[in-house]
Amino acid sequence: MISSDVIRGYNDTIILYLLLEKESYGYEISKRIKELSDEKYIIKETTLYSAFNRLLKKGYIESFHKEQTFGKKRTYYKITEAGLQFYQEKCREWELTKDVINQFIKEDFR
Amino acid sequence: METIISYLDNMFASLPKTLEMKQLRDELLANMEEKYHELKQEGKTENEAIGIVISEFGNIDEIIESYDISQENQTGPNRLLTETEVDDYLETNRLAGKWIGLGVLLCIVGSAIIVLFTALFESGYIERNIALTTGVILFTILVAIAVSLFIYGGLKLDKFKYINKQMDFEISRELQSKVEMMKNNQQSRFVAALICGVALIILSPAILIFMMAVNEQWIIFGVVIMLALIAIAIYLFVYFGMVHGSFTTLLERPMNREAAEKEERINGAIASIIMPLAVIFFLISGFVFELWHINWLVFPIAGLLVAIFNASYTLFSKKDA
Repeated sequence: MISSDVIRGYNDTIILYLLLEKESYGYEISKRIKELSDEKYIIKETTLYSAFNRLLKKGYIESFHKEQTFGKKRTYYKITEAGLQFYQEKCREWELTKDVINQFIKEDFR
Repeated sequence: METIISYLDNMFASLPKTLEMKQLRDELLANMEEKYHELKQEGKTENEAIGIVISEFGNIDEIIESYDISQENQTGPNRLLTETEVDDYLETNRLAGKWIGLGVLLCIVGSAIIVLFTALFESGYIERNIALTTGVILFTILVAIAVSLFIYGGLKLDKFKYINKQMDFEISRELQSKVEMMKNNQQSRFVAALICGVALIILSPAILIFMMAVNEQWIIFGVVIMLALIAIAIYLFVYFGMVHGSFTTLLERPMNREAAEKEERINGAIASIIMPLAVIFFLISGFVFELWHINWLVFPIAGLLVAIFNASYTLFSKKDA
């Protein structure tokens, strides 16, 4: 299990990645994160929704309503062109971060 | 499920009771409900399911931080509009559009009546003095009604001055999409009204020419019909323009206070100079120079001038920004 503090800077990237596949809503996204991470990362509801709000404010995603099968209204999200660019930027940033941090990671402790 | 609802409501108890927060709470509840049912289906007991759902809720501080709630609560220069306020705003604009449109229509009909009485006199139906007095009296009555309508509509709208000036308000995203939907529904009627209005204005001189062709004496009656058609067209422009404008105002990004006030000052100045000038010109040219048959033209021209000044000011000031 990864604690949310470790992954903090990459929640937005993870959400944008899932929206690349298709437009989606809160619970579906949190479920996909759980599945794709092999249950190693479970995003908290409040973390997810503050990320949505942040991404909406920055214009990286858009929200709209859609009727669910139960007749309930759901807020759906989809990625924007700006969101895609931001996502690509974050991917490059991660490569860099990985290289830097790896410099300080020791594989064996004998 | 009850436990989850009361847990969530406890979490939201400290947050402001805005529509945005209510919608967020409902959205979170829907997610938690779905998660709960899935866990139950996987064979978890009620208590286990509730435990997991609550443990995966997270920290409400994150919401406070991301929605800028603490800051908004203390200073909060922008008020968040509720759904009732937005509905009220749209309805008031619709009604005010009707009254103001009707006022403009009455002004034009008023000048048409003067033309009509001139025509009746020239065709020899009534005496000159009677024609002029009746015409001017009717015109004055109609203008008085029109002015009352303007004032009434203006007063009703006054309540929403801060929205019309496009400042100091915010609208939740959900409400925004609702207004967008309403605007889209209205769009086809707006376009149809514009087309009708433009068609009426283009067709109105044709009536004049037709009347002239039938009988030269009738030309002045042609002017009356033409004015009536223009009056209907302008009513359509004003009414649908205001309804459409109210949607746009809600959807556009609020301007900063300074720009909004400057624009309103300038637009007001233009209208309050040109329109009275037009009325003075109308009355002097009529009473002193007896130009009743042609001087009504001053109103459509004045209206056009106001529109042109306002539009060009808006255009150029936006360019500067």
